[in-house]
Amino acid sequence: MKQDQVGTIVGSSVHLTGSIKDSSDITIFGSVEGEVNSDTKVIIEDSAYVKGPVTANEVILSGFVNGTVNAKERLELNASGTIKGNIDTDDLLIHSGATFIGKCNMPDKKEGEPISNKEDFEAEVEDEVEEEKNDKGEQEE
Amino acid sequence: MYYYIFKQPKSKQERAAFEKIREVARDFGIYGEITQASPARSADELVMIALNKKYSTIVAIGDDTHVNTVVSRIINCDEKYHFALGIIATDPSSILYDRWGYKTAEEACETLKYRKLTRFSVGLVEPDHYFLSSIKIIPPKPTRVTFEVDQWKANTVIDRAEISNNLYILLERNVREKSLIKSISNWLLGKDSTATEQSIFKGKIIKVNSVDPIPVYIGSKAIKQTPISIYRKLNALNIITKRDKLSFDKSSS
Repeated sequence: MKQDQVGTIVGSSVHLTGSIKDSSDITIFGSVEGEVNSDTKVIIEDSAYVKGPVTANEVILSGFVNGTVNAKERLELNASGTIKGNIDTDDLLIHSGATFIGKCNMPDKKEGEPISNKEDFEAEVEDEVEEEKNDKGEQEE
Repeated sequence: MYYYIFKQPKSKQERAAFEKIREVARDFGIYGEITQASPARSADELVMIALNKKYSTIVAIGDDTHVNTVVSRIINCDEKYHFALGIIATDPSSILYDRWGYKTAEEACETLKYRKLTRFSVGLVEPDHYFLSSIKIIPPKPTRVTFEVDQWKANTVIDRAEISNNLYILLERNVREKSLIKSISNWLLGKDSTATEQSIFKGKIIKVNSVDPIPVYIGSKAIKQTPISIYRKLNALNIITKRDKLSFDKSSS
């Protein structure tokens, strides 16, 4: 075994209980009951089953997750993937055929600027609706 | 003064290579006491002799089994890290060869002469088996094994496991091709229908347990049977390492 091998790989025949943490990528083919936490990327393959929270900068999910998924930068849920739990991410991609049962929390953004509160957001929506009405009115005239 | 402990040579080529190292060491002015492990006097005993004679540098020349035997004995006897260890790894397929393998005897002796020391961490299989390379757990047939590592526990069937001195864990399982059609086509084409599935983990404390005892090897030497506990001993050994190669920077000229 060469020692420069990095990251964690949970093979398909492995059943792991407890929390795994790694500063490098974690790839799961087997089953994990517990927390999965990586500073970089978590890849959950087709054959994988995870019962517990998943946290990473990027999560690519093709297997089954029963728990919250917190992907700070990006979450990709592939066609074969299932999430039963809430997700929290900046960038979300769900492929056709995937299953997602839960709530999604994403930061409110407009042109890259975060909207500070709900009132601002509602005011902006009202402005947009008003503008649309005016446009329609002008077209009818 | 250097105390050289050669592995017992197994072939004429190996004997000639060892003889060459002795000659070059003499030419480089780093000649010392030359010894060779044998059934009559093991590497373990030779290290004890070197320690009693107050040598400050021991050089182990041989394969993983030989080097790890020397390493383990030194650490067990020298808790204050007075010793420096030189290594000339002779098995190109071993982990140690990456760092301490040399193309020529001259290159090896130049490294020993320059004597650049670096502290290395080693693995420890309780109670007293230290290793610089890795341990291997090889059951005679696929066996269910439990690994308790830091905050998690894994249960799996393995064909082979290897744990390095930095406590990287590699688990291997040979799996057969599930598709009958693919298996038949592989058989017709003379291809192997088994693939090796790998798992890789890292840990700080590892406990390995199995229903039936499995032999644990350092190099080719069986040292224990499961259950075992493995730890990491940080900065346990001063080892002579290769000099950094300086590259000529054209922009500076």
